[in-house]
Amino acid sequence: MTNMREVLPQAAAEPDLPPALQDFAKQRFEGLTGIARPSRKTEAWKYSAKRLNKLEGLQLAGNAGEENAPADLLLGNVQSHQLVLSNGHLPSSLPQIEGVSIKAFSALSEAEAQQVAKGLIATRDDLPFAEINHAGLGEGLYIEVAKNTQVELPIHLLLVHQGEGMSLPRIFVHLQTGSSVSLIESVCAVSASSEQSLCNQVSDFLIEDNAALTYYRVNDDHDQLPQVAATGAQLKRDARFFSHVLSLGCPLGRHDLQVQLLGSGAECDLNGVCVAQDRQHFDHHTCIEHIASHCNSNENYRCIADDKAQIVFNGRIHIHPDAQKTLGEMSNKNLLLSSEAEIDSKPELEIYADDVKCAHGTTIGQLNEKEVYYLKTRGIRKEQARQMLTLGFVLEIVRAAPIAELAERWEQRLSELLSFED
Amino acid sequence: MLSIKNLQAQVEDKQILKGLNLEIKAGEVHAIMGPNGSGKSTLSQVLAGNEAFEVTGGSVRYQDQDLLEMSTEDRAREGLFLAFQYPVEIPGVSNLQFLKTAINNIRQHRGEGEINAAEFMKLAKEKIKQVNLNPSFLKRGVNEGFSGGEKKRNEIMQMLMLEPKLAILDETDSGLDIDALRVVADGVNALRSPERAVIMVTHYQRLLDYIVPDYVHVLSQGRIIKSGGKELALELEEKGYGWLGIDEQAEA
Ligand SMILES: Nc1ncnc2c1ncn2[C@@H]1O[C@H](COP(=O)(O)OP(=O)(O)O)[C@@H](O)[C@H]1O
Ligand SMILES: [Mg+2]
Repeated sequence: MTNMREVLPQAAAEPDLPPALQDFAKQRFEGLTGIARPSRKTEAWKYSAKRLNKLEGLQLAGNAGEENAPADLLLGNVQSHQLVLSNGHLPSSLPQIEGVSIKAFSALSEAEAQQVAKGLIATRDDLPFAEINHAGLGEGLYIEVAKNTQVELPIHLLLVHQGEGMSLPRIFVHLQTGSSVSLIESVCAVSASSEQSLCNQVSDFLIEDNAALTYYRVNDDHDQLPQVAATGAQLKRDARFFSHVLSLGCPLGRHDLQVQLLGSGAECDLNGVCVAQDRQHFDHHTCIEHIASHCNSNENYRCIADDKAQIVFNGRIHIHPDAQKTLGEMSNKNLLLSSEAEIDSKPELEIYADDVKCAHGTTIGQLNEKEVYYLKTRGIRKEQARQMLTLGFVLEIVRAAPIAELAERWEQRLSELLSFED
Repeated sequence: MLSIKNLQAQVEDKQILKGLNLEIKAGEVHAIMGPNGSGKSTLSQVLAGNEAFEVTGGSVRYQDQDLLEMSTEDRAREGLFLAFQYPVEIPGVSNLQFLKTAINNIRQHRGEGEINAAEFMKLAKEKIKQVNLNPSFLKRGVNEGFSGGEKKRNEIMQMLMLEPKLAILDETDSGLDIDALRVVADGVNALRSPERAVIMVTHYQRLLDYIVPDYVHVLSQGRIIKSGGKELALELEEKGYGWLGIDEQAEA
């Protein structure tokens, strides 16, 4: 049997980490031999395994310095506190934000380190590539927002992957009671190669009582960089997590988004827009676990596949026995623009409580020719009509992003991407 | 302006228009009446360029061009407008964006520059008021969640914005209350001019109390079986379609 140790033959060299995290990495590294490499027969990885397994024998990518961040990050006019992680390594100076503590993992107290090791993704054992991130843990970014602090400007984490090899960005964000912050994660590549590079990221969020995290994840690297990412959010009582994922250019993009609603009154919205062209491949797996009662979840993913691209959406809602009075809604709508494109959509509901309201819906279709015709009868060119309709298909979701300047920039990028003009 | 000769059209191998003739000059308003299933919408759609309907014979000339050779969008750019019997809903495309794109396409066709944003907003607000719709409808998706009557008003609103030379209204009066009917009639009357023509497709005589046509035609089984002045509509109303030997059951 082939195992995950083949993907990471050596752990990070002498990581400068607190004992709790050193032990964590060591144990997970030892455990790699017991974890099978995903294959086409592994249900949760069957669509992505082939492409991932082509990335053989990658070395860990070193610290390539802080230069060369690409200019256009789909931020538009958004003001932010920016932090550039180069191949997962932290910059030499970290931003100072009132009420926010930003540190490297090496600077954590033992208690904080233990918190990191208890993160949602950190405690999962069914995500083989996250396992590589655990096992190869060398550096990480820790952000803590103090009690009742409302951070005004968003924090922008720019994850730059440079050159060949595998980078393992690692992020932990802790929102204390009553605090709120917006976090924008954008992933981009500098001289990476689609055959020899992989960005393998883990982000864990712990959101305490009545705190709120708005999370944006943007991916538009123009086809250089295969990516695997796992994001986990644990929500305590009345906590809120609003996620906006925009997946555009990437030869291979796998994103696992896991949410645990642990305290009653917690709420999450998961919004996603994915556009795949050429031979791109996106695989979005989401899982919402309703563990406490009176929680709401709302999920809305829209995907457009053109050319020979493939998109996978797997959305799971798991309602535990104590999660009475749950409201859960999931919708995934898909648009196929070419006969050679493929979309696989799989909603999964598991309900073990009786007093819940849960709905899900999936559609896969093509552009509605009646709508194209209606626009044409008003003088609108066919290509423009198609562009308006495909853009319209995702716009509602894009505009749900609370930072209006960001939504505008995304909309602008999408209208370029969905142009049918020759 | 429009000259239809021996027009034949079919949908899914079913012959619907079976040799239809009609001449329309600038400045005229024509009413086309007929029972359900007689082919009124088919005629409207064929004129607008719906590819679901196949023209199997005859000719249509519009402003000295072969209409049937023109693309749907070019027909619209040359001033042909169809108010749909059943307008589609397009969530995600706002009425404003839709109208602006349409106007700019038409302007471009005429060799004019894009409409100025402020000028466009002023025009849109003025026209939406004219059809008695709340300005908030401009920001909503095209026809998204609109009631039947609101959709019809929105069609008239588009017509007023685009100022067509030939407007075809396919049962724009059906299912409207008296207020909405007035809005539609006022819209059409506002557009009436010596350079423009209107074809009003209708099942009932009611609309013709508000928009007095120059000619009335009766369509049955894909042919115009009788033409006359506005008094023909009244006669039809009084005596019913049976008067002309039309079996309404047989049409549909
Ligand atoms: N898309 C279609 N597919 C099949 N039959 C159609 C279609 N559209 C119209 N028809 C048929 O063509 C005939 C004429 O319809 P239509 O033009 O809609 O009549 P009207 O508008 O006068 O009520 C009817 O018998 C109708 O069933
Ligand atoms: Mg009809």
